[in-house]
Amino acid sequence: MRRTKAAKRTKQIERTERVERAEPAEPAARAEPTARGPRGRIVGVETRYMEERRVALEGLRGIDRRGFLRASAAAAAAAMACGVAPHSFQPVRVAFAGERGRERDGFRFAYISDSHLFEEKLNDRFVRALLRAVDDVNRLDPQPDFVLFGGDLAQLGQPAELRLGAQILRSLRAPVRMMVGEHDWYLDMGELWRDLFGEPTYSFDHKGVHFTVLNSILEEDFWSERGLSPMERMKTVAGLDNNAQRPFTVGVEQREWLRRDLAGLPSTAPVIVFSHSPLYKLYKPWNFWTDDADEVQALLRRFRSVAVIHGHTHQMLTNRIGSIHFHGMLSTAWPWPYAPEGLPEYTVQMSRPDPFNPNDGCGDGQVRVHPDGLVDKIYQLWNRNPITVTGAYLRSARRAGRPPAPNRKAY
Amino acid sequence: MAAAVLALVLSLPLAMAVSVGGAACSDDSTDPAPAPAKQGTTVVLCDGKTKVEIPPGAEKSRAGGQAVADALMSQWRQRHPDADWEAEVRRSHPRIPPPADNADVLAAGGQRDGQTYGRFTAKDVLSWQREIERAVLEGARIFHDSEALGSTIGMSCDMCHPDAANTHPETYPKFQVQLGRVVLLRDMINWCIEHPLRGTAMTANDPRMRALETYIYAQRKGQPLSYGKH
Amino acid sequence: MPRSAARPFARLIVLCGAAATAGACDPAASAQAQERSFPASVPVGGGGPHGTTPMTAQRRKMDELKIGIPGPPPGIDAAVWNAAVPEDNQPTQERIILGRALYTEPRLSADGTVACATCHDAVHGFIDRRPVAEGIGNNLGRRNTPTSMNASFMGVQFWDGRAGSLEAQALLPIVNPIEMGQPDGEAAVRAIAGDPAFEKMFRAAYGRGPNYMDMGRALASFERTLIFLDAPFDRFLRGDEDAMTPGAQRGWVLFNGKARCVACHPINAASPIGSDERFHNIGVSARHQNFDALSSKAIALLEENASPTAIDALALETDASELGRFLVTRSYADVGAFRTQQIRNVGITAPYMHDGSMMTLWDVMDHYNKGGEPNRFLDGGMEPLALDEGEMADVVEFMFALTDVRFARENQAEMARQREVARKQRPFRDDDMAFRRRLAFDGRQTR
Repeated sequence: MRRTKAAKRTKQIERTERVERAEPAEPAARAEPTARGPRGRIVGVETRYMEERRVALEGLRGIDRRGFLRASAAAAAAAMACGVAPHSFQPVRVAFAGERGRERDGFRFAYISDSHLFEEKLNDRFVRALLRAVDDVNRLDPQPDFVLFGGDLAQLGQPAELRLGAQILRSLRAPVRMMVGEHDWYLDMGELWRDLFGEPTYSFDHKGVHFTVLNSILEEDFWSERGLSPMERMKTVAGLDNNAQRPFTVGVEQREWLRRDLAGLPSTAPVIVFSHSPLYKLYKPWNFWTDDADEVQALLRRFRSVAVIHGHTHQMLTNRIGSIHFHGMLSTAWPWPYAPEGLPEYTVQMSRPDPFNPNDGCGDGQVRVHPDGLVDKIYQLWNRNPITVTGAYLRSARRAGRPPAPNRKAY
Repeated sequence: MAAAVLALVLSLPLAMAVSVGGAACSDDSTDPAPAPAKQGTTVVLCDGKTKVEIPPGAEKSRAGGQAVADALMSQWRQRHPDADWEAEVRRSHPRIPPPADNADVLAAGGQRDGQTYGRFTAKDVLSWQREIERAVLEGARIFHDSEALGSTIGMSCDMCHPDAANTHPETYPKFQVQLGRVVLLRDMINWCIEHPLRGTAMTANDPRMRALETYIYAQRKGQPLSYGKH
Repeated sequence: MPRSAARPFARLIVLCGAAATAGACDPAASAQAQERSFPASVPVGGGGPHGTTPMTAQRRKMDELKIGIPGPPPGIDAAVWNAAVPEDNQPTQERIILGRALYTEPRLSADGTVACATCHDAVHGFIDRRPVAEGIGNNLGRRNTPTSMNASFMGVQFWDGRAGSLEAQALLPIVNPIEMGQPDGEAAVRAIAGDPAFEKMFRAAYGRGPNYMDMGRALASFERTLIFLDAPFDRFLRGDEDAMTPGAQRGWVLFNGKARCVACHPINAASPIGSDERFHNIGVSARHQNFDALSSKAIALLEENASPTAIDALALETDASELGRFLVTRSYADVGAFRTQQIRNVGITAPYMHDGSMMTLWDVMDHYNKGGEPNRFLDGGMEPLALDEGEMADVVEFMFALTDVRFARENQAEMARQREVARKQRPFRDDDMAFRRRLAFDGRQTR
């Protein structure tokens, strides 16, 4: 209920034209439309507008009746002109030109994921595909705020593969945030990854949104008892459908880290989690799965707006559990068929890729982040029309904004 | 395999090459029976490579002989990890549906009523099952092995088709425009080997192709036939 | 001054929606096109207007070619063929005769110099052998003339597929300002309405007097008789092992295999001409200056939920024709995409590609061998092929074996000519890309 009113108010406020006030408030105050909570970030729509209402009311407080009527009549007229009938008393806030700033519109970041590089002289196709994705992102106008790499940069975690990937990603114009995948990790348990890209688990804040990057592909030791060599271990993990590995987890240590990392945030803070495994339980035989997903989701549950952006699944995937939105990323290397069971209701499948086009079902994409943390996921499929899965679709429990149905359904 | 080695061990006095350094797998040596040696004894399998040292004065009992056999076997297994490949593949791919259960062909009377045709025994049914399962497992092994498939770019079928998903063999034969004719499953497999895997197409009777088809059909057990479906 | 310039601008907008991509709508564009330095193709030197063969000579050639027989061609699945013929335009001899007369009738154009056969010259394989077509007032367009031979096998016409049938296609060049230049269909009808011969032919064909729609039908009926599927390749398939040279036979194997041609150019019993009738961006448009900027502008328009009028306005821009199918469907995936052309008779239909930028089949092979030209919308099927010179020569030899035997002499001459040209220059060749030593998209300049 509160949300709907606030949304209406947002519309009114944004549509109202400039009106002269009997007693204009401090211009400085108006130029600062956002309310800043602790830590100086935007804390959410309701809080911000409560602040603005308070300021407007203060401004109206000292004027005489005539002045007030003039001001409110003018405001009401302006509101009517926009086709919105104001309530009996609405501190209709005028929108000045300067307020249509970036923060009000949110921001975008791009993603490239699951490139699975072999050495170039062994497999040039995957290298070419990653180069194509980098070219796509470099051509975006305006440039995204940053680029997320979603994991599985290498195919077998080999130094040549990781270094080749690092070299290619260096030609991205926007700053890059790296995330680790199992194909990068299990040859040397992340030693070279750390050298090249730093710690796999970290967090950062950007334009009022708190980002957490997890290493969610940790498996219980299955290799020591079988005496596997590092490459054997890596090849075992690299196989999707062999039964020889353990399920992905985030693990006790990281969960504790996550709890501490999120501790200071109010529940209205927008949170976005980057994770390679999906952080929910989709299909265990293919490790489309995070074993301690329930515990991780419990840590995220108190936030009003949480989105998980994950890799690993090489397909369009959408889910919502409670208030948490889950979006999968495309791979640049190859697409995967949908799992035989466990497909979330929210997912509208991508059209079955045509094997005669090696790039079909692959691509890159972007994520649009609204000021309140709501996330739209844009899938930039190569040789297909782009598809956007909006936060509104998820928030409305699939009632609004359904993505287009696929041309060819999966088998 | 274990049984064979045990048989070998029990016949050691005949087949064993006993020597200090150097070995020959022969039982027609003209040397006189050697005197109990001061140094230890080396036991070698007839592959010439698997060896076990028996220290001097070791107990020459059945238990001792068993220990030697076990040591030889364990060494041989380490050097041939694929020898038990069937169990390995079976462990890795537990979700392959089993073949049809032919128990219903077993006649109530077994073999005793004297008819030749149309009567099957439990041994028949078991050997059919063993053969088809072995073929399926061989197919599973090749399906996951980029070298066996002949890919020059390190790819294998399972990378795009985990558990043979999206292979839809039940939709063949069908007209495939890019192949220019009505194709069977093996034609599509060959196309995949030539293009996504950048390998060399297999002939229709290539044992690898036969194994791959077997595995794919096994994974899609129960799907209704739907030839011509795009 | 070209007559097109005198026409009201409003009309240009209306027509450009349909005809934009047949050539630039404004004269400035044609001037620019003339400035573009495409190497000249073999001068046609036919002596007629716009350098084409005179109509009488063409009609004589048509008689020689023994076309004009209605009905499904032999060897073609009649069901598939008949499905493409509209109910109201079943082939009859009268309709075909009328169609042929209209096809070679320059009076249908605004200045009386351009007929269909001007650009679709029967003597030269129903093309004009130029990089781009020339219309009235010597205006150059922006698209290469596709051959009318076997065009009836294709469901959509024009490089961007904006006409859904032969009937629809035949009507559009008549009213295109730089092709035949009529202000509207009625003007074309008026041009021939007074002629008693046409009056008689129309009545015999459709039972009514001359009118614009029947013009399209008659032309389509005639075009449906332009079947040229009797090539050495067909004789080889029917069992004559000597019909194709060993090189061409190797080329056919490569066509279906390593060279990957068959992915878009399938030749089979169901579809004999070697086109999948889809639209692919193979990177030819990406070679044009400012394709990147143009396509970015188009995409930006799309993201703002552009109306059709905005896209049409974009189409008025000189280089917009390089956007191809996008201008028709306004679909992101179609930027820079053009229809897959048929492979039949390709030996005699140089120059190649939608802008006529490739002079020889060796150029075509070089383009595909290196995986096309990288751009944001490149079809994923375009991959470096790593074909060596011998393999490319085999595929080229195969392609020359696809020419109908009725043009065998021209085919031989053309093969010799192209071989000579290719020996001297191979402007699209890039061995580093072809053999995957350097990968596409690597180090592309980004603004």
